[in-house]
Amino acid sequence: MSKCYDVVIIGAGPAGINAGATLAEMGLQVVLLDEQQSLGGQIYRNISHASAELLADMGAEYQRGRELVARFEQSGAGHEPGATVWHVEADGHVYYSKEGTSHQLKANYVLVATGAMERPVPFPGWNLPGVMGAGAVNNLAKEAGLVPDCEVALVGSGPLLLLEASLLIKKGVRISTILETTPKLPPLTAVAKLPPALKRMDFLTKGLKMVSEIKRSGAEHYKGVTKIKALGKERVETVEAYSDSEQLHFPAGLLLTHFGVIPNTHIFRLIGCHLEWNQEQRYWFPKADQWGRTNFEKIFAAGDGAGVRGALAAEYRGELAALELARCLGVIPTYERDLLARPIREAILHDHHPRPFVDAVYAPLFSKETLDKDTVLCRCEQVRVQDVRKAVQEGVRDVNEVKIVTRCGMGPCQGRMCGPALAEVMAAELSAPPERMGTLTVRPPLKPIPLEEVATMELEGSAAQPADLFKNQSK
Amino acid sequence: MFKQVDTQDLETVEVVVDGEPRKLQAGISVMAALLADGELNSRLSPTSGKPCGPHCLMGVCFECLMEIDGIQRQACTTEIEKEMVINRHLSETGENSHE
Ligand SMILES: Cc1cc2nc3c(=O)[nH]c(=O)nc-3n(C[C@H](O)[C@H](O)[C@H](O)COP(=O)(O)OP(=O)(O)OC[C@H]3O[C@@H](n4cnc5c(N)ncnc54)[C@H](O)[C@@H]3O)c2cc1C
Ligand code: FES
Repeated sequence: MSKCYDVVIIGAGPAGINAGATLAEMGLQVVLLDEQQSLGGQIYRNISHASAELLADMGAEYQRGRELVARFEQSGAGHEPGATVWHVEADGHVYYSKEGTSHQLKANYVLVATGAMERPVPFPGWNLPGVMGAGAVNNLAKEAGLVPDCEVALVGSGPLLLLEASLLIKKGVRISTILETTPKLPPLTAVAKLPPALKRMDFLTKGLKMVSEIKRSGAEHYKGVTKIKALGKERVETVEAYSDSEQLHFPAGLLLTHFGVIPNTHIFRLIGCHLEWNQEQRYWFPKADQWGRTNFEKIFAAGDGAGVRGALAAEYRGELAALELARCLGVIPTYERDLLARPIREAILHDHHPRPFVDAVYAPLFSKETLDKDTVLCRCEQVRVQDVRKAVQEGVRDVNEVKIVTRCGMGPCQGRMCGPALAEVMAAELSAPPERMGTLTVRPPLKPIPLEEVATMELEGSAAQPADLFKNQSK
Repeated sequence: MFKQVDTQDLETVEVVVDGEPRKLQAGISVMAALLADGELNSRLSPTSGKPCGPHCLMGVCFECLMEIDGIQRQACTTEIEKEMVINRHLSETGENSHE
């Protein structure tokens, strides 16, 4: 039989944890589902088991996660670790797989707090073993205490690239080079956004400190690089790029890439939530009101999955969603919700000051020139940039049609790795904005699960058939 | 290519990797445990036949799909457990489990 909850929360990052704790403290029945084994999400991954050394390395911001987790654990909220959500319906049904068995839950409200992922930016050789996300290596340190013991090169753009570089330097990892695609001079749009950022000197100073640490380490650091290539036979061995007209060539036992983060929108697209386009950061995010309510009454969004604003904002937005959910469930009146929300909104504003500046400095760059024709765009199906260009030249105009023609996005990752770049390749070819190319349709299951597991799942009532869950799939 | 910084009191589990018994670090994901033991490859790409390695380690890229106890699973989101049977099918001859 399916269990019933006031709120089912998907994603145990700062947004989900804070929302869960807030709701449970008000006496509501809540469960938090996450495919990870412990609470924390991306930023506070595995924080409950972090060694003293890791806690010291990661600094005070990482420690904050401990308090958050401790509060959650005392709140009485349920937590289902190792639970991969593979389907959500707008009426509040949630399906997840845990240890080889699938379960169905029913919720009055669902809060989707599935966070963000690193923006996948294809370049030649990015699919060689040893080319990994900078965030992936950050995860390995947090989850398993692992640190690279070979020479490492980093490529890409964004504050988290520099953060990862400085963490690696602290741990004594040799860095052959940091190749930033960020322009040498910030764009004019960024300069205009500097004044509000100056209200947060603490934030800017931290960034400058990071840059000076990198400089002191002696790692070769280039900005404005183009034409990145990972080279190697069976695995990455070197990285090549251009700085102006100078060709650069560096050893890379591991090549870490990072091009910013984008919301993980698969669940929202699966449910059918309306999406909006972030022009500057070039990503989709779910359309939601100030509390995180999407176009579906029962579906809420919070955290970086609802638009990337960082860990603190995720925590705050989780709490705002929780307040509105508590009001909807009749536990607090409107005036109390508004009263409790006021300081949170102030904290969000304070946290937000530097972001427009940072977003403008690290605005992603895509053009026909940045996308090499032989690059494998879809790693699952080995579709190249030129295959997509050919389809566009033949008149195909929508990402889902390109998918049918080329198989781009048809593999097990369901377009998570190629979808954003696919739209960019098409847009560049047509000199049109990428948001006009549409988004790849997402169907259940969100992650491949064995059919027998679905067939043996216990469903609410007897009328529903497991096969009904996939009734749109053959289309 | 990776080393363990915290070597005190590391627990291990005995598993079978590609037909060979092996002791790997416990309490972490299958993919992290393989990386900790010097393995970078996760599978052969079913489309190109070339070796793949994990890319995201957060359940997004599916490059770490491998046969774990008979089922294709993401090794980076699957916690390693004792007696697990892990098959990466890294030699083409043994490659027949992809649909
Ligand atoms: C790889 C990576 C590393 C990062 N490292 C840092 C860092 O070191 N410092 C920093 O300031 N910021 C970092 N960030 C940014 C930071 O993650 C976010 O600002 C913050 O974690 C957002 O919190 P959140 O609650 O929105 O979601 P997250 O913390 O991302 O948590 C989302 C959770 O949802 C779960 N989830 C997603 N889909 C499903 C599903 N289908 N079923 C079950 N569970 C699911 C995930 O397992 C995850 O635990 C990182 C981002 C990434 C992608
Ligand atoms: S490494 Fe990307 S899904 Fe596991």
